[in-house]
Amino acid sequence: MTGRIPLIRLEAISKSFGDVHANRGISLEIDEGRILALLGENGAGKSTLMSILAGQLQPDAGTIFFAGDAIRLSSTEKAISLGIGMVYQHFKLVEAMTVAENVYLGHAGSFVLDWQKIHEEVMQLASQYGMQINPAARISTLSMGEKQQVEILKLLHRKSRVLIFDEPTAVLTPREAENLFATMRLMIGQGKAIVFISHKLEEVMSVADNIAILRRGEVVDRVAAADVKSTAELAERMVGREVLLQVERTPLEPRQIVLKVEGLSAASLADIDLEVRQGEILGLVGVAGNGQKPLVEMICGLVRPALGSVRLLGMDWQKFFANPSWDLALSYIPEDRQGLATCQGLDLLDNFLLTTRGGFVRGPWLRRGQAREKAERLLHDFDIRPPNLGALAWQLSGGNLQKMVLAREFYRKPRLIVAEQPTQGLDIAATEDVWKLLLEAREQAGVLLVTGDLSEALALSDRLAVMYNGRIVSTFYVDDEESVARIPQMMAGLQISA
Amino acid sequence: MDSAIIIPLLAAAVQSGTPILYATLGEIFTEKSGVLNLGVEGCMIIGALTGFIVALATGSPVLAFVIAGFAGMTASAVHGVVCLWFKGNQVVSGLALTILGAGLANYLGTSYVGQIAPGFKPVPVPLLSQIPALGPIFFNHDPLVYLTYCIPPLMWLYLTRTRHGLSLRAAGEYPAAATAAGLNVAAYRWCGILVGGFFMGLGGAYLSLAYTHLWTNNLTGGRGWIAVALVIFAFWRPGRAVFGAYLFGGIMALQLRLQASGTQLPSSLLLMLPYALTVIVLVMSSWRQGANEAPAALGVNVEPID
Repeated sequence: MTGRIPLIRLEAISKSFGDVHANRGISLEIDEGRILALLGENGAGKSTLMSILAGQLQPDAGTIFFAGDAIRLSSTEKAISLGIGMVYQHFKLVEAMTVAENVYLGHAGSFVLDWQKIHEEVMQLASQYGMQINPAARISTLSMGEKQQVEILKLLHRKSRVLIFDEPTAVLTPREAENLFATMRLMIGQGKAIVFISHKLEEVMSVADNIAILRRGEVVDRVAAADVKSTAELAERMVGREVLLQVERTPLEPRQIVLKVEGLSAASLADIDLEVRQGEILGLVGVAGNGQKPLVEMICGLVRPALGSVRLLGMDWQKFFANPSWDLALSYIPEDRQGLATCQGLDLLDNFLLTTRGGFVRGPWLRRGQAREKAERLLHDFDIRPPNLGALAWQLSGGNLQKMVLAREFYRKPRLIVAEQPTQGLDIAATEDVWKLLLEAREQAGVLLVTGDLSEALALSDRLAVMYNGRIVSTFYVDDEESVARIPQMMAGLQISA
Repeated sequence: MDSAIIIPLLAAAVQSGTPILYATLGEIFTEKSGVLNLGVEGCMIIGALTGFIVALATGSPVLAFVIAGFAGMTASAVHGVVCLWFKGNQVVSGLALTILGAGLANYLGTSYVGQIAPGFKPVPVPLLSQIPALGPIFFNHDPLVYLTYCIPPLMWLYLTRTRHGLSLRAAGEYPAAATAAGLNVAAYRWCGILVGGFFMGLGGAYLSLAYTHLWTNNLTGGRGWIAVALVIFAFWRPGRAVFGAYLFGGIMALQLRLQASGTQLPSSLLLMLPYALTVIVLVMSSWRQGANEAPAALGVNVEPID
């Protein structure tokens, strides 16, 4: 701080949702004429932080300074009027309206709109930033890249000084992404400040001036892009390696194969081979979006495998899912515990019965009394709070809801467990509980652990598989120190020189 | 059939289509802002009764007509309170408003049944009413009919050519986008509900002040529901609503004439005609994919974040 005042300074921003700390004491500076990249895994707190800056959320603590003055961004309107605008990941565009109508929405001006003049204005603004767009086109007819351009035009038209891009390339083709980066550089040239949220390492390296790395709600690192030597270095900083928790893991004797995937290929997957045995945890690591999701969806029966074979408990995929058994089979612990794993509006007993009802039927009748007894014991054993079966799922905190899902799934005595980001958003105590449960589950099951958190994978897994760009780059035992050391390179897709 | 039959029939179609047109335009306006108001029938009948009472008391049909509009607006404000303040279910609230309106009007209107109030009389438009065929069909009516000739183009201009109209449509299409653009979605939805309710009240008042001049129970007779269906038929466009309203007006006028001509067809079948046509029209509109033109956020409440 040598006299230079950054356009925006965030100081000690904190925000929690229940007992999940999305942001913990984050401080950042945003300068005009520079691109700041916020790098971090899903759930690291990037989007929360930027929603605070865009006026959508209010921080629990901390101050935002705009050109040196402390301000309160109480609404999006306020943020917009100060020139802070956000290009959302899910575009906020009215599909049934034209480009020009969307750009002009909310714009102060005359009561009557002169569309011809507005069209010219929009066209001129677009060409100023190297975009080509038909102002009279309906949004619903545009490609994703074009829609994003409209979002950018909306902000430029309002003379925004700070533009926040929330994972802007997630929906773009590589070519469209190149165009976007060119536009970003033009905007920087005009003195705008840009914040760019991403977890794609190459992009961040090629576009950003400064990089701030977020992990578990905290800024763990701040570097100038010029000082970063390789994407591997970034990957390492992003996923972290320091051990937050210590759990005791005694290797078990691996027994029969419970999951075998051979030559599985699909739109975003290429030739996947992997196997999981009872008694082991296979950690599948990689930067999010490298094919983990489609792979898990196929293994768990949500999507039919296209090419190749998936065998579960020795059965063919089709046979396994044609007549699924409620117990001694597959348990899926999805990343989206609110949307996929539970019904938010149902109470805990009904949520418990979602996957275990097979065990409580007599003819067409559901034996709720019996289920209640069992579920009550689980609440107690897993220390789920509130210990009340009548509580609705949405009333539980993230950690308790996750424990509830685990309790339910373990009650089924699964022989194969697929756990996706099982501790995302949980605090340390809850994380420790979940880790212990997964380790115990190895007694009876094989576990496929999909995680973006390397320290979690290293703490729990017996073997590791690294995914990049739809392929499994390498599979090795966790005590193979040489391979473990190279995980960041593998995650960044660097060729492994033998 | 010769022109001596057809021209009076078409003129009657315009007249009996007019109350439906007022109501349909009102509902289009409300739905454009993203609120589904199924209480059209309720707003209409409250407007009809209010207009009738005011006309009886003051002797001024013009004043009665305007106050009836505000009565419709007040009725629709009930819907606004439920849906916008308390985020209640729009369908349930609308249905309740219909039942409430009908019950209230029947209760308060009992003592007026059979009475006659001063109303609007036909005023031929000079010159225009002399045009063969078109003159008697369109320009030999009461002033309230002429008023409806101006509303659709004005509403269209408002919705497509003004900043306010653009914002109102955005509130109905994608409230999140409107909010992100710094607009107050609730305010635009209030505007949609209140202005829409005003037109519904006018539609009701047309029935008691120009169409009949007298009060009977259940005066609106399901016209509010026809208006709800016509909105879909009109693809939420004010211009098309005119066509639809006159089509229904025509069917209503036709069945009256058929009954009067002493046909052998049972009258209950004839009375059914407009409602049967409603069903047919709805089926046809969904075939034509017009239903896709509904405001995307129609009937969806905006829940507060956080």
